[in-house]
Amino acid sequence: MDESDSPLLPAPRWYDDNAPLRKELKDAAKAARKTSASAPSESPDILPDWELTVGIEIHAQLNAARKLFSSADTYPTVEPNSHISAFDIALPGSLPVFQPAVVLPALRAATALQCTIITKSTFDRKHYFYHDQPAGYQITQYYNPFAVGGCVVLTAEDGLEEGREVVVKIKQVQLEQDTARSQEEDGATTLIDFNRCGQALIEIISLPDLHSPREAAAYVRKIQSILHAIDAVTTGMEQGGLRADVNVSVRRRDASHEGFTYAGVTGLGQRTEIKNLSAFKGIEDAIKAERDRQIRILEAGGVVEGETRGWSMTRPNETRRLRGKEGEIDYRYMPDADIPPLYIGLDLIKFVRQTLPPLPTELAKMLVEEYGLSATDARTLVLLDDGDRLIYFQKVVAELSSLATYSVPQPDLGKMAANWVLHELGSLLSTDERQWSDKAVPFDKIAEIIHRVREKQITGASAKLILKLVFNGDSRPISQIVRQEELAFSEMSAEEYQAIAKEIVEKFPKHVKDIVEKGKTGKLQFLMGQMMRHPRKGDMRAPEVEQALRQVIFAGKS
Amino acid sequence: MPVRFDRGHRDWRDIYLFRTAKTILRRSQFPPHYGNPYISVNKSLHDPEYLIGRLKRAQRLHRSTENWNNYNILKSANDGHTVGIKDNILTRNLPTTCASRVLKGFCPSQDATVTKLLEKAGMLVLAKTNMDEFGMGSHSMNSAYGPVTNGDPRRQGALSVGGSSGGSALAVALDLAHVAIGTDTGGSIRLPAAYMSLVGFKPSYGMISRYGVVPYANSLDTVGIIAKSAADIRLTFDILSQPDASDPTCLTTGSRTRIRMAKNRRRVSVLESKIHFTPAFTPREKAPPIARARARNMFLFQRSFVRRIGVPLEYNIAEMHPLVRWAWTATLSHLQTYGFEIVPISLPSTKHALSSYYVLAPAEAASNLAKYDGVRYGAPRTRPSDDDDKAGTLYSGYRHDNLGPEVQRRILLGNYSLSAGAMDNYFIQAQKIRRMVQKDFSTVFRMPHAFHDYAPVKNGVDVIIVPTAPTPPPHIQFLKDASPVESYMNDVFTVPASLAGLPAISVPGPRHPDFPWKAERAVGIQVIGQYGDDFSVIYFAQNFLTNFHNLKTLDRLQHDKVFKEFGSS
Repeated sequence: MDESDSPLLPAPRWYDDNAPLRKELKDAAKAARKTSASAPSESPDILPDWELTVGIEIHAQLNAARKLFSSADTYPTVEPNSHISAFDIALPGSLPVFQPAVVLPALRAATALQCTIITKSTFDRKHYFYHDQPAGYQITQYYNPFAVGGCVVLTAEDGLEEGREVVVKIKQVQLEQDTARSQEEDGATTLIDFNRCGQALIEIISLPDLHSPREAAAYVRKIQSILHAIDAVTTGMEQGGLRADVNVSVRRRDASHEGFTYAGVTGLGQRTEIKNLSAFKGIEDAIKAERDRQIRILEAGGVVEGETRGWSMTRPNETRRLRGKEGEIDYRYMPDADIPPLYIGLDLIKFVRQTLPPLPTELAKMLVEEYGLSATDARTLVLLDDGDRLIYFQKVVAELSSLATYSVPQPDLGKMAANWVLHELGSLLSTDERQWSDKAVPFDKIAEIIHRVREKQITGASAKLILKLVFNGDSRPISQIVRQEELAFSEMSAEEYQAIAKEIVEKFPKHVKDIVEKGKTGKLQFLMGQMMRHPRKGDMRAPEVEQALRQVIFAGKS
Repeated sequence: MPVRFDRGHRDWRDIYLFRTAKTILRRSQFPPHYGNPYISVNKSLHDPEYLIGRLKRAQRLHRSTENWNNYNILKSANDGHTVGIKDNILTRNLPTTCASRVLKGFCPSQDATVTKLLEKAGMLVLAKTNMDEFGMGSHSMNSAYGPVTNGDPRRQGALSVGGSSGGSALAVALDLAHVAIGTDTGGSIRLPAAYMSLVGFKPSYGMISRYGVVPYANSLDTVGIIAKSAADIRLTFDILSQPDASDPTCLTTGSRTRIRMAKNRRRVSVLESKIHFTPAFTPREKAPPIARARARNMFLFQRSFVRRIGVPLEYNIAEMHPLVRWAWTATLSHLQTYGFEIVPISLPSTKHALSSYYVLAPAEAASNLAKYDGVRYGAPRTRPSDDDDKAGTLYSGYRHDNLGPEVQRRILLGNYSLSAGAMDNYFIQAQKIRRMVQKDFSTVFRMPHAFHDYAPVKNGVDVIIVPTAPTPPPHIQFLKDASPVESYMNDVFTVPASLAGLPAISVPGPRHPDFPWKAERAVGIQVIGQYGDDFSVIYFAQNFLTNFHNLKTLDRLQHDKVFKEFGSS
């Protein structure tokens, strides 16, 4: 029932800690390009005749040390059924004890989504039988949620067209319990792990303000990045920490607006619900598939039934029916008499509002304005490694400016540091397929390397070499590496360059011939590479090398 | 003779533990013959030397307090006394089944808070007492482990012990335990106490921790005490009335302070209201000399704070048995001789209370009992159809096989009243009535409600006195033909206090002078107090309603040939 548990886990599309950096960047670029070109065999994002309406319910696992109503731990990777208390498996006589630890992350989330916090909220029971739900009901906040009326603004930054802005209003944010994790062993056996059961979730219910599949996916992505930035959640969609239920309806653009009403929005078509989507791409595909299905039915003169549907990665172009309206569960909501109301003090609301960390958008803006980064780099830096890379970057820049002998404008240092922290270090990480760690290359070491490049004490190539050495565990001080590896840069004269160039040219006459006679200038790169391997490589700079080679080769022949 | 005690301790002259040990051993060997009070018993019942030795030691300890000098050795006033615990309260070393097949052999890994406190106080948990399945019933006949009866169920004339804590009441009546712990949802303690001429106390909601009590209707459930005298109840309530962090509905120390403040406000109000205390209604001269002496000497403190007794007119229903009505009137005139002012009051929403209760309790029960699917604990799942029935409804096969008919009836009723179509007409309306019932009570009591801001009442009453049940205990052969709705009628006088969460105690009513005493003429009189006023209720019952009978020797059992041999002992 839970897509995230199936072995058919979708490949990470956009943001994943484990994915190589370059791939991430590529995917980001791809996502941005999608504005113009949609995936093949798929219908366009916006249809001329039909208007799509989407409302999304997002379930996010809160970053709290305790479960919502029991003091059991919420460690993510442990032995199954090791972190449970009597209440989590609904032993008779056990009672829920609200854990105040969940309030802070929940409040941070609601505040970041610009919700109004309700000072007195209550808990209700939502009844249904399923083996991942031991008590026969889930405790949620149906009648009085703790936060209402927020909004999220989607802009070009989130992958929309330039200049477009979509405001998605949030109806309410509520606290609820997670279910157990179940795993089909074979046809007859299902294994259940109650470690997840009873953990605190927030459910974020949006109003039907979204009208395109891509924007819907962008909305979920945005919510995830916000929740990550304020440390309200521990894991993202790929790890199952975030799941979405999507409500989809269509109506003709020209039709007079008479139809269903949801939360004050009138004139909607009959909606269907797609449950348990756990990938951004999945959300987009599922909405498209469901929209096209509804339109096909309506165009054939049929009627869309209100039902619950499912979608799977294996067949991305269709949704399948889970249960119809007649089989719709009556959840029999009932106030839970065991749990006293949750009172949130005004002082706490104020405290959370004041101490809320900046959101990704604000951080990216800060990076562009104060550190001179490009918008893409800034965004990547903010999203990488839960913001660890950003902190590392800032440390590097601070170290750089303290190393500088005269005051340098921060944007200059920022640009340089970003290049090294993002691209050079990133490529090392991705070739070695290693996880990010700020201990791989201590920030003061990389700052010293960059500083030496800036001061022209070493060349860029040597710097890369040193970085690689340090990355691979060389613990010598940078100065010692430079001395022992003889990488210190001393200006060579043009003659010295030419002398070395001559040596190289003599070594590879065939290449020279190709260059001169056939005009294969590409071979020049090869010769340059060879020349850069010369023992005096630490003193060479690429432009001078090229110049010397050209002079040597073409001087002899013409 | 009332139990003598001082500073929360028993008088050493009242300790006869050794004698009771022998009775317990003799009578507990064949429980079905004595009306089936137990579901499971402690090992010590099969080890006479251990039991006698333990009780003897405890007796010696108690008697050594003769000169008021050894009290610090005793763990509590109930040290060494035996207790029976209703089978829906968790005990680590005895199975907890709630008298249901669905929990057959369920051995919890933790004690309930109640059990823990009792054991800490030195009490010996002798047995788990029989009950109605999950507390659903009024006669303790719905048990999966056989019905509880007062008298041999195979013969004519066996009486109902009341329910659902019928096993607890029978255990105390048979002297198998000094006190018994039960639960009261809509009268489950007071009704058995009334039917068995015992004292049954239901505290205010939240006074005693419910942690480890298997819920039936969690907004109404309270843990209560059944004993032979109100003094026993007071001593046991002292042990149990503690704040508990593991039960969020248990009153915290702060809430208890607020209740004390409300009591103080009442005290001030009583002192100010002296002028309204009309001596015209206090024919003290006519009172019997003993009562006069007591009124003068012993309970001056108590008298000064309980003065006005409310008699709700709505409780005088046509269905009330004449004997019950006589007992009610006799009690009130008896109290008049003490100088209490009898005040007619009106609780207009009383007549809707029962219907409200039978919507709310099943609704909560349907929710609370949803966990019994046999997946994690409970009776083993035996058939392939345990998961689904033909209609494909999850778990319905298992639940059909393992839950009793009354439980199934209430689950269906509850789920119906919670369903989307019926919620507004049933559940919501019932909640409104519940609020009205609460408000009704708060408009008559002098003591203000500690947690609700109702307008203060001038000249309110201090306690309310009503019968516990509309009839004396019925014969069980008549119950078999009765419809479920008829048996729901038994709760009509007990349900309002439960809905409002008020403390109530049921004591044996007076004996009619024209009829000889018989177990089937037992009548219970109920004292209801304001929320949090538990001690006034217990004190009042103890001081003014105990001299109708000699509770120590009162014969509560329905005699036939089998019972005769011990009935006289």
